[in-house]
Amino acid sequence: MKRRSFLKGTLATGAAVVAVNAGLLTPSAVLADWNKAAFEAKKVDEAIKAVFGTTAAGESGDLVLKAPEIAENGAVTPITVDASKMSGVESIAILADKNPTPLVCVYNFSGPALGYVSTRIKMGETMNVIAIVKAGGKLYKAQQQVKVTIGGCGG
Amino acid sequence: MSIKIRVRGKVRGGVAEIKALMKHPMESGRRINKKTGKPYPPKFIQNVEVAVNGTKAVDAQWSGAVSANPYMAVKVKANKGDEVVINVVDNTGDKGSAKLKLK
Repeated sequence: MKRRSFLKGTLATGAAVVAVNAGLLTPSAVLADWNKAAFEAKKVDEAIKAVFGTTAAGESGDLVLKAPEIAENGAVTPITVDASKMSGVESIAILADKNPTPLVCVYNFSGPALGYVSTRIKMGETMNVIAIVKAGGKLYKAQQQVKVTIGGCGG
Repeated sequence: MSIKIRVRGKVRGGVAEIKALMKHPMESGRRINKKTGKPYPPKFIQNVEVAVNGTKAVDAQWSGAVSANPYMAVKVKANKGDEVVINVVDNTGDKGSAKLKLK
């Protein structure tokens, strides 16, 4: 009996590993410009570094991060990052610091775009939402805590 | 399968706010199927591109932590009659596209 359950166990984990590998390998093969290292980083600083190359970020009064103080449903947390008053905004990244992989999204702007993003993100628990804006070659950071009453992951 | 996108935009004072709503499960690969005990395979939109009159304006990369049926709003400098095109691709290669003439 023991042998049988052992076999079953290995088969199951084997299948899971194959599934995970397949899932992780397809995107990089299809899309070259998806920053895999940044999205798989497990720490906020690692993720920021993988996107921008540095973590040194200042503050700016023109950078506005709008997030609810309390999110009733963490699976749909509305987040707005408004840096449209800043000039030369190159990119905006949104991170949720306690998510298993904190980096949520990165927006790169060019041509006619203004530094403004509004979206909805998933948050597993109460945590800080961090917005990083790159403008004129410098990083700016804004942060706000969001209390989550129902988790967005698992479910 | 193509991804359905609903897009709206309005010009106000030379700036257009473009709002897009996509129909997509945004499966992060972490949610566990309680019946089998295995995670649902990841399926989420990875790249979103917004172009105005053929010029790339916004190029976004997403993880599975963007909510299901994602909503996105961006602002661009534009005039009435400009054409906005949104293209999205998910991690399995499914694509979606939407066009809009700004009012």
